[in-house]
Amino acid sequence: MNFLTRIRSSIGWDKGVGALLVLTIVIGSLVTPDFATTSNLGFVVQDIGEIMIIALPMTFLIIAGEIDLSVASALSLVSSSIGYSFAHGVPFGWALVIGILVGLATGALNGFLVNYLGLQSLAVTIGTMGLFRGLCFVLLGSNPVNQLPDFWTGLGINNIPGTFLPWSFLLIAPLVIIALILLHFTRIGRWTFAAGISSEAANFAGIPVKRFKFFMYVATGFMVSLAAIVYTLRFASASPDSAMGYELTTIAAVLFGGVSIAGGFGTMWGVIFSVIELGAIRSVLQLVNFSSNALQIVSGSLLLFSVAVPKVAEMLKARRETRVKTPTPSLTSSRSVE
Amino acid sequence: MKGSPLNMQKNKLKAVLAVAALGAVALVSAPAQANAAGLKIAIMPKAVNIGYFTAWNKGAQTACKEIKATCTYLGPTEATGPAQVQFINQVIQKKYDVLVISAADQNAIVPSLNKAKAAGIKIVTSDADVAATAASSRVVSVLPAASARIGTAEVDWIAAATGGKGKIAVLSAAATAANQNAWIAAMGPYLTSKYPNMSWVGGTVDKSTFYGDDDATKSTAQFDAILSQYPDVAGIISPTTVGVLAAAQEKKTKNASVKVTGLGLPSQMAPYIEDGTVEKVGLWNPIDLGYVAVYAGAAAKAGTFTGKVGSSFKAGKKSYSVVAGGIAYLGDPFTFDKSNIATFKAIY
Amino acid sequence: MRNLLRIRELPIAVVLVAFFSIAALGNHQLFSFSGLHDLLFGSSIICLLVSAETLIIVMKHIDLSIGSTIGFASYIIGKNASNGHGLLYCLLLGIIFGLAVGAVNGLLVAYFKLPSLVVTLGTLYLVRGLFNQVAGGDFINSDKVPHVLSFMASHTFAKIPYLFIVAFVLALIVGFYMRNFRSGRDLYAIGSNLPAAYLAGIKVEKRTFWAFTAAGGIAGLGGALLIARFGQAQANSGLGIELGVVAACVVGGVAIAGGIGTVFGAIIGALLLQTIVLALGALGVSQFWQGVVNGALLIAAISLDKVLSSRSQRTQIMRVSE
Repeated sequence: MNFLTRIRSSIGWDKGVGALLVLTIVIGSLVTPDFATTSNLGFVVQDIGEIMIIALPMTFLIIAGEIDLSVASALSLVSSSIGYSFAHGVPFGWALVIGILVGLATGALNGFLVNYLGLQSLAVTIGTMGLFRGLCFVLLGSNPVNQLPDFWTGLGINNIPGTFLPWSFLLIAPLVIIALILLHFTRIGRWTFAAGISSEAANFAGIPVKRFKFFMYVATGFMVSLAAIVYTLRFASASPDSAMGYELTTIAAVLFGGVSIAGGFGTMWGVIFSVIELGAIRSVLQLVNFSSNALQIVSGSLLLFSVAVPKVAEMLKARRETRVKTPTPSLTSSRSVE
Repeated sequence: MKGSPLNMQKNKLKAVLAVAALGAVALVSAPAQANAAGLKIAIMPKAVNIGYFTAWNKGAQTACKEIKATCTYLGPTEATGPAQVQFINQVIQKKYDVLVISAADQNAIVPSLNKAKAAGIKIVTSDADVAATAASSRVVSVLPAASARIGTAEVDWIAAATGGKGKIAVLSAAATAANQNAWIAAMGPYLTSKYPNMSWVGGTVDKSTFYGDDDATKSTAQFDAILSQYPDVAGIISPTTVGVLAAAQEKKTKNASVKVTGLGLPSQMAPYIEDGTVEKVGLWNPIDLGYVAVYAGAAAKAGTFTGKVGSSFKAGKKSYSVVAGGIAYLGDPFTFDKSNIATFKAIY
Repeated sequence: MRNLLRIRELPIAVVLVAFFSIAALGNHQLFSFSGLHDLLFGSSIICLLVSAETLIIVMKHIDLSIGSTIGFASYIIGKNASNGHGLLYCLLLGIIFGLAVGAVNGLLVAYFKLPSLVVTLGTLYLVRGLFNQVAGGDFINSDKVPHVLSFMASHTFAKIPYLFIVAFVLALIVGFYMRNFRSGRDLYAIGSNLPAAYLAGIKVEKRTFWAFTAAGGIAGLGGALLIARFGQAQANSGLGIELGVVAACVVGGVAIAGGIGTVFGAIIGALLLQTIVLALGALGVSQFWQGVVNGALLIAAISLDKVLSSRSQRTQIMRVSE
């Protein structure tokens, strides 16, 4: 089956990220006694929570050949809606429901613009990014909302009693597993890859590409609203300037996990390893007192390495093999934005 | 996308290992933290790489030398609460004794501060405090002066510049900046009651406030927006060092007649004061602010200072006592004009 | 080809004029030399950078690193000027730095065949991190800015700000090159159909490499404009400017899908975005709503372009996709 070959052929950088993660953990434990402790693990899990939740649908989107730059603004809009509703007397539980509806609406808007108006997702989500962020300020302006109910913020802040894991772990772990299964073991996953490899061919093969991708954006909106709830509870407040810059962090994490920006290629476990690895490496670097400037340099370098290393390996190998043949230019791999 | 990936794997792994090994070397050669006998104090600005906080840290480091503590300056590159939380976690994990922090977000860092407090770390907010409802998360807040004093002082400066008449606008930092919002709230009624010939361009101070997000580009754009929306504006107050600098630069570039004042670092504002673009700006001394905050934290850790209203601590030669809200004030801001800018610009 | 390009820019130009006029009716201040000055002066940095980004986007690539590059270049120029070096020396350093970043991008994208979005996202972080590390809390003050630059920022030639003239002259050069030179037209070929470009014998790698290098160089030059415009350079100079540049290109008809659009269209796009900002302010729209309107108008502009240029749709469908 083509599908199985594809999975096998994608074993590569994602495995490398896994190895890197193991290495980071080993080295981290060696260089600082504060790294491999349960409390630090709790911090790391809490720290990567929102990015992990958003990275899951983003992986689907990028493999399907699309992108969404509005996720951070959408997260902030959901959080702001929750805060606004609560501040205007809506019981907190219902405020969360409103937040989820808002999240679904943001996804539906993106999905509509990209699929039914046929606009480039990179361009149009720059637009909705501004739109959603603007709405956050219309809602909350200069009045961030605090003093959310203790019961709910406790879920965001505290650990599951008797463990070192935050409550959000109970939400994130199943989501990760579901995403993994959906992408690699169901028809939805096959459709995702098909849409990314060739939208036209997928269409001819009977996949309702437009509707499928529309629902993918709606699902992204849903996941963003879950991330927003985790975010709101964890910081016990709602502010219009929430999650600034999370879109690039998330996309960088997905790409670092070996997903091809051109679409059609990548694995979910690569992304999962990648998100954990980025959290782990930041923790190690912080614990050995690297400055935040150095953290930026490391992030940039890792991203470049993640694409350069497999490529260089491939090129070296290609050179060895095709020494006798006439070189043919690779036509496919220098496309960037789809 | 093509090729026979299974064979590639070995090469890739080799390469990955090489990268990781490089990383390992970098990690191992990282500077180990000096393990002095004294206190371990973390100094956390809203964001590193900002001149104001570099000066703030200078004062903190001076105090640290005097009390023989080990101080580490650490913080994110972008001034957001979530980014600061990652570093607060680091402070908890590395078991610092004291955390001196300028809150980048008055709410978002509170849960983490509470965790740090539970871990026995004494927390002093300095320069920017957490929300009043979360005052119990820190021992004390060392602030320059009461919000009302800072706000009203700025109104007096702009009144002096415009001759006590005309319409006034405010060019602030981010809409969510708690400090600025408190100062602006104090400006509103003071201007209308004290100066009958002055008014806000938009009717009320809220409608006359523009947000430059503490970013040079956006602050400049908002300065232009004020001028185009209200051509008759007589004066602009910018209660943020980034904003007042952008306003001064744009006023000079456009040769605009509007008067500008606000809170500015003398070293940054010197060229504009020397050439007359701006008559007067003010600011407290951020060096003192950092200095005093470290002493407050050390005294709290030593148990000689509780942070209760009425209690006091010593910093250098001066003594500071805590007033309502758990705050210790430094004193009124300094003002800088042509007469003294040469002296102050060399200091901070 | 020529006619097609002209037609593509026409609608957005009409929108620009219409929007400016409507806004000017509401606020007479806008429809004056000072209003025009605000528009040209305020958009000069973006207008310069769209020349760089257009080179890249027509090839169906993207360069996200220009914000970090222009920021670091402005600091390099300012730092060397404050150390007493002459303007030309500083300018040259800034441009060489930009060329170097561009060359790294170009090398990785053109010869290593890495996706430009990932590469330039990587260099965005990398260059910004290095910049922060070097600059720290250092602040380059306006009195350290080379005199010629501060003069250019505060003066006009025939009512047109010097900074805009610099950007416009550069756009003329880049636009002329892309339209009239063989190697310039190759960029369109690369973007519209890569396999065909190879088959037609275009030196894809070489063109891609030099386009990225040139874009970096333009961003380096932009550093001079940035420090002139704001009279300062510090660790967060130029932060986040890249998305505004991409938005200006897209609004101006430079399609992300590659192969179409011109520098002049992109400049019109930049002016339109700036007009929107100025007009919303001048019309008294609250600042909180401005973000909403801005985002909505950007989406509207993209949709409009899509409707008006359905012509390009056909080529996309017919294209052999990977």
